[in-house]
Amino acid sequence: MTRRDAAAVAKPALNSEWIVRKTLFVFAMTTVLGIILVIFFVARESIPALRQVGWSNIFLSATWNPNVSNPATGHYGLLVPLAGTLAATLGGIIIGGPLAIGTAIFLTQIAPPRTGKLVVRGIELLAGIPSVIFGWIGLVVLVPMLARVTNTQGYGILAASFILGIMIIPTVTTIAKDALETVPEEYKQASFGMGATRWQTIYKVILPSAKEGLLVALILGIGRAIGETMAVQLVIGNARQFPNSLTSVTSTLTSRIVTDMGESTGAFRSALFVQGLVLLIMAMVIILLIRLVTRKTVKAA
Amino acid sequence: MMGEMHVPARSRARKTTAKTADTVATVVLWALALVCLAVLGSIIGYILVKGLAVVFDPKFILGKPQAINAGGGILPFLLSSIYLTLLTMVIIMPIGVGAAIYMAEFAGESRITRLVRFGADSLATVPSIVFGLFGLALFVVAFGMGPCLMAGALTLALLNLPAVMRTSEEALRAVPASYREASLGLGASRWQTIRKVVLPSAVPGITTGGILTIGRILGESAALVFTMPLFATKAPTSLFSGGAAIAPNLWYTLTEAITPDAQRIAQGEAAALVILILALNLVARFLAHRYQARQGMVG
Repeated sequence: MTRRDAAAVAKPALNSEWIVRKTLFVFAMTTVLGIILVIFFVARESIPALRQVGWSNIFLSATWNPNVSNPATGHYGLLVPLAGTLAATLGGIIIGGPLAIGTAIFLTQIAPPRTGKLVVRGIELLAGIPSVIFGWIGLVVLVPMLARVTNTQGYGILAASFILGIMIIPTVTTIAKDALETVPEEYKQASFGMGATRWQTIYKVILPSAKEGLLVALILGIGRAIGETMAVQLVIGNARQFPNSLTSVTSTLTSRIVTDMGESTGAFRSALFVQGLVLLIMAMVIILLIRLVTRKTVKAA
Repeated sequence: MMGEMHVPARSRARKTTAKTADTVATVVLWALALVCLAVLGSIIGYILVKGLAVVFDPKFILGKPQAINAGGGILPFLLSSIYLTLLTMVIIMPIGVGAAIYMAEFAGESRITRLVRFGADSLATVPSIVFGLFGLALFVVAFGMGPCLMAGALTLALLNLPAVMRTSEEALRAVPASYREASLGLGASRWQTIRKVVLPSAVPGITTGGILTIGRILGESAALVFTMPLFATKAPTSLFSGGAAIAPNLWYTLTEAITPDAQRIAQGEAAALVILILALNLVARFLAHRYQARQGMVG
């Protein structure tokens, strides 16, 4: 084959490869375009409420009293749902955090292979159960149970915390397990060699060296809990006031959005988008926190 | 002398406390893991006990939904969920796998890949209800689609894109470099190598990721409450017509439905969803298992 022939064969291949490459590049950029569009549209829909109702009446007010017939004159303070989101998330982490991290330690340090496999499978299954089903079980099993035990209606922060605690287990356990698995085997051997017990080794050697990864696991669990919607909406009660106990009704950002969207128009609807914007900002803070934690690890290494 | 006598005694005491602490910790860690398993077991058990009798009633699974009277079925919801899954997968697989090929095969570590990864991480962290708001603002209102199959599918495609991309990229990166070198060495172009050598080897991994995505699409409700109808007596007849998927309809049944047998419908829908998701998990595991067995043969 002469040189020119070879070039003639190679050239179309090169051209089509250029097209393929650019097409795949565009596909990859849909993630960037996607997040920009999400931020843009949620922010844009938030503007009417901020204009018509005012920043302070939204971000510094605890009064939620929409006016359906004349939306611009309603009260759309988001402090109650914001407090509800933070309280339910905190409760979820308090209940689910130790369970999830403990399970991860069990899986990496203690579990016999078959038991470990069973637990891993179980956690994979738990991750696949739809959130509306957690909400349904919360509604028909957990809420009546809490109602009997606490002599209240059963709805509220406590019910939401239990549900969230269970729902964050797969996220937190999976990432914590990965973090614990990266601890070098020599650390463990050295600790055992010095006569430390298994728990001393876990507590003094393994947990400290996997600290950043465990922190990332918990932060992602928090992110999951903040954004959880259907399960929480079904058990929190969706009331307009601050909770005065663990078993009094209140609402979260996500539950407020879902509960009120149907009947909302104008500034009322826009105020719900503001709550979505707050959720979006919280998600971005979560990402930045994770980057901060992992960057420190990279530097240290 | 007293001091010398004292040291061994104290160290023995310390050793005993350490041993006790070790036993206690072991028991506690076992208990925590078993609590996780017990919670999962009782959830699945409860759903199946309550729902199996309902879900295997042909009048329920093949019946028409009722808005007011008792005795409604869920066939249109099932069909809507299947159509929604198909449409979402048709949109998401080419884009997700294509993006993964770009990240794994073409782009090195650059500012662009860092940007793409940041975009994917962000999308993966944004709560699904925010995707619902976005879908409402863009597809339902700005594009004028109204709540319909396409609006739901586009919203879910964006929601699940990072997961499809990540699992596909992992599958591509797991293909040994020697495969690529051999193909390039035989004179194949980069794209030919990817199409004929790398992609076929990554298909099982990509498929497993895809099946898990189907599970998430079937279970998603928060991103669909504003982008698709919550209740409809008919399955969608076109891409832009309504139709209610099972998971969002389950939420509607629990909150707004006025049929006297809402409880029974909820039980049946929950069981139908869980059975579908369990089956998908089994298929994914079977494929992963077969893939591993084959890899073992090659290696």
